[in-house]
Amino acid sequence: MGRRRRCRVGPEDATRALPEAIAALSRTLPVGPSPEIFRRAKFDCPEAAPALWRLLFRVLSPGPADGASASLSLEAQARWVKSALHSQGYPSRALAQLPDNGSQGSRQLLLALAWLLARGPLLEQLLAQGRVRLGDEMPVCECEALANPGPPAPGVEEVSGVDVRHLQWLMGKLRFRWRNLMASQQEQCALLGQIHLYTRGCHSNRSLGHLSVTETELLRDPEGGRQLLQRLESENARLEAALEWRRRQLVFWRWMDTVLGACPPEATFLPRIHEPGARALEPVARELHALREQLRGAVEARRAAGAAGAGDRRPEWSAARRALRQAVGQDLAALQRAWERGGGLTQPHGPHRLVRMEAGAPRGPGLRAPEVIEALRTQEAHLEAVLRRLQGQCRRELARLARALPGLIWIPPPGR
Amino acid sequence: MSIVTVQLGQCGNQIGFEVFDALFSDSHCPQGLCSKRENEAYQASCKERFFSEEENGVPIARAVLVDMEPKVINQTLSKAAHSGRWKYDQHSCFCQKQGSGNNWAYGYSVHGPRHKESIMDLIQKEVEKCDSLSGFFIIMSMAGGTGSGLGAFVTQNLQDQYSNSLKMNQIIWPYGTGEVIVQNYNSILTLSHLYRSSDALLVHENDAIHKICAKLMNIKQISFRDINQVLAHQLGSVFQPTYSGEGSWHYRRNPLGDLMENLVPHPEFKMLGVGNIPQMSENSLAYSTFTWAGLLKRLRQMLISNAKMEEGIDWQVRPPLSGLPTLSKMSTNKEFHFNTSIANLVILRGKDVHSADVGAFKDPALYTSWLEPVHAFSVWKTQRAFSKYEKSAALVSNSQFLVKPLDVTVGKAWNMFASKAYIHQYTKFGIEEEDFLDSFTLLEQVIASYCNL
Repeated sequence: MGRRRRCRVGPEDATRALPEAIAALSRTLPVGPSPEIFRRAKFDCPEAAPALWRLLFRVLSPGPADGASASLSLEAQARWVKSALHSQGYPSRALAQLPDNGSQGSRQLLLALAWLLARGPLLEQLLAQGRVRLGDEMPVCECEALANPGPPAPGVEEVSGVDVRHLQWLMGKLRFRWRNLMASQQEQCALLGQIHLYTRGCHSNRSLGHLSVTETELLRDPEGGRQLLQRLESENARLEAALEWRRRQLVFWRWMDTVLGACPPEATFLPRIHEPGARALEPVARELHALREQLRGAVEARRAAGAAGAGDRRPEWSAARRALRQAVGQDLAALQRAWERGGGLTQPHGPHRLVRMEAGAPRGPGLRAPEVIEALRTQEAHLEAVLRRLQGQCRRELARLARALPGLIWIPPPGR
Repeated sequence: MSIVTVQLGQCGNQIGFEVFDALFSDSHCPQGLCSKRENEAYQASCKERFFSEEENGVPIARAVLVDMEPKVINQTLSKAAHSGRWKYDQHSCFCQKQGSGNNWAYGYSVHGPRHKESIMDLIQKEVEKCDSLSGFFIIMSMAGGTGSGLGAFVTQNLQDQYSNSLKMNQIIWPYGTGEVIVQNYNSILTLSHLYRSSDALLVHENDAIHKICAKLMNIKQISFRDINQVLAHQLGSVFQPTYSGEGSWHYRRNPLGDLMENLVPHPEFKMLGVGNIPQMSENSLAYSTFTWAGLLKRLRQMLISNAKMEEGIDWQVRPPLSGLPTLSKMSTNKEFHFNTSIANLVILRGKDVHSADVGAFKDPALYTSWLEPVHAFSVWKTQRAFSKYEKSAALVSNSQFLVKPLDVTVGKAWNMFASKAYIHQYTKFGIEEEDFLDSFTLLEQVIASYCNL
């Protein structure tokens, strides 16, 4: 750890440096493949492909790996990886053209992995995802869940001609599951509250004061303690691998340049429009251009008319415009306020550890529950208002359609 | 998670007592056919759901008792306290001095609003006693006076105040040859109001249970107590704890939620029926043995022939052959009275339950075309025997079983309505002809939906 690298790198060091760098990378990644796989991928060997598809799937899925995602077939995983890379803006067409069965394309996959690594804090994100959590945690915002919808549930197929009653059934089932989830969460909160209350004064860290579920289990069950220790040790190993990777990664990037060089010239990274597609787009481009000209002309005409004639109308007209602009500005500000977390909240997103405090205790760092509740209530009120407005629109539209058909009797559904 | 029961009227209170008694007796039954630890887990789960704890250890039923006259409530309270094993909370009762004369409108428009605050307060107190609330179980009659009108009002208020909690109404379908002249009016008003504010309607027909008492239990003089006990036995076999999944050894935490998610997600199809097998007097029980195959075969035939008990089943009724176009399927149904299901839940309790084969219930011919058996059928199990039956099976079914009785009731009510008979009793208290028409419309829609399966 304290040793510096020698400035002169001997040939033995050089041959060892690359596999060690790749090995460090592999130890940091979840389901990291061996350095041999990486080497084979440079030469586009097909046997390296499945491991890399699976790696990319694991790396791109949000949230911890669960049984459902892991049991997806290689084909489903490959399809999902392609769409996820596309939505992240990966510029290569060659990857999108690889066959779904996951049997080819290891070099392309290696390039995609390198692109992801270079682009953003991928390893840090993965390490944060897989962290061992000792406290009872609760998310305070929905950002992560909303940004990454995740892989499709296994067994979802395209079916044509579905009975609407089946859809209503599924919709109702979803609603019940949501209600059951809420009831379960309330139960969990009640139980957490009891545990926190009963273990007051047990924690060595005074600022926390009480134990979390994991910590309580640790005391009750030595076997669980051993497993927790194992998990912490493997997390430590991954963190150390990440540090080692940081020191050695230059070698890897130089090697990736050679991989890129090994690609045949057709697999270029410049986005090119398909020939037949380009022909089809020609008339559309022309029409767009024509419309733009028309619009420009119309705007000029109105501006001229407005400037010329309306001498006496101008005060009220500009007053009306000012009022309109003010109203729009207020609306936007309200929207913004409702979406920002209640003014004073500047804490980071993501899950927070729950700590129960006595009334009147000195305030520690972190969010207070009443503030978070207030912010969430504001967001909820805003969303409810939007929902009601949209529902009203739907109702009016349906009523309009019903009126359009003579002899039709309009029977609204029972209940809400 | 806990369930709060609301017992309404004479019917609701008498049945409610039998239900809690059946649940308690079963959970403390020594012949559970399972290990001590298993039995304790079962008891604890049942207790958490239906009873709360008091200092001296006597469990208190999680219930609110409501009636417009004090007699039945007092009887119920004393019967429970007398047993010494469990009791009701004295303060969770609401009653008045006068009845409501079987007048639905009076119960809905006068009693309801007048006593709304007191009743909802009592319910709120019961809810606060729960660590977590699964939902409400409301027991009421459909055609009586207090129970039905007030029950519809209370359910509506529960919908407003606890919109995220689940609500299941246990309703008693009156005898076909009932004594109350306006029972058909009461029935359609109750049903249509409940359809709007409740999540599931669990229907028991008095006629059917009467037959069970006569034929299966061999009771000569059938009293309401006998009927209520059979009913309580059926409900107990549905609501007692079951394992939370295939291969799991933990008890399900939210049976009400799981039941509703599997059976009534579609807003037009909310009517559930319960069947139970075997059902017999205690004397006969000692001399009978059962196999799962035999029980399940009879249960399945009970389902498709719409039989309410295991005797006198019509074995001629068969599911329609697959491959026939839908049109002929419908006509075959009408000829042979085949009962098409939307969704079914089978609950198995007892010895060797894991070896029971429910494959016959997964036959697609049993179900409507737009729902496959994998979505429509669920099975819950537990090794722990129920109420001294070495093996028992219950079936909760969302099917066409109630279409005929409903159609008959709506028809009779419409005939009376067409001649405006007795309408003044309702309009006097604010139930207008419009409300009747709305009810007819809703129920015709329900009948049509069920017929078009």
